[in-house]
Amino acid sequence: MRDVTYKKFIARWEEVVDLPPQTLGPFTPLYKALIRRLKVMPWPYFVLLATMVVLALYFLIGSTIALLVTLLQRGF
Amino acid sequence: MLDQLILSGIAFCRNSIGLVVRPYETYRRIIYKGSVWELVYIAVLAYFFLVSPVKVGAAIATYAFVVLAAWFVGQRVGGRGKFKSVALGWGYTIIPTVCWFFMTSLLYVLLPPPRTTSLAGIAFSVLFLIVSATLFFWKLTLGYLTLRFGLKLDFARILVVVAVVAPIVGVWSWGIYRLGIFKVPFL
Repeated sequence: MRDVTYKKFIARWEEVVDLPPQTLGPFTPLYKALIRRLKVMPWPYFVLLATMVVLALYFLIGSTIALLVTLLQRGF
Repeated sequence: MLDQLILSGIAFCRNSIGLVVRPYETYRRIIYKGSVWELVYIAVLAYFFLVSPVKVGAAIATYAFVVLAAWFVGQRVGGRGKFKSVALGWGYTIIPTVCWFFMTSLLYVLLPPPRTTSLAGIAFSVLFLIVSATLFFWKLTLGYLTLRFGLKLDFARILVVVAVVAPIVGVWSWGIYRLGIFKVPFL
């Protein structure tokens, strides 16, 4: 039983450490902070970012977004 | 074979839920323990939403093209993963695409275009774009995880692969658009 658990632990350990940690020089802490939020339940951040992008687009092109959505809806 | 198909079906359902809740951990499991049989379920899922044989053929060709391009460029920049891992990982990124096509098809029936510039029209357009962008960010995350786990690349190399593959895929999508198969870029 202990052998099985130990083997499972080793397999899991090898799986986790197979990839070297990501480093981006001075931006590493920022990268880690961003990625940590995307690892578990990233949807609130996706929705927040999408809302910001779309609102920026609306302020940029105004009511033309209706035309863009028409094109996208007809695309399929 | 039947055993593998059933087990892959269970794994596919488990992974699909995992991609929503815990994408990072789920992708690691897909890359290390996934079976190519799971691609059968992704293909079936895509078939139901794409319906037309021409669109299904174009979607499969696009999938194969992207996987081969990512694999080829990834190997050139020092990637050391397996082809199977990349194929399986990119296969799961089809789920956001299928979700978007499903949403668009449903809304086409419920609220057919054209959209107007009235308050209701603009509100719907904003909402549609927010949902579309959300699915797109999900797709980007899954694509990133495919390259990270599938090819074992670091962030800088992933950017190089994207910089090389994205324009090629852009030209491919434009070709499919010119052929009249998809009127929007199929990713």
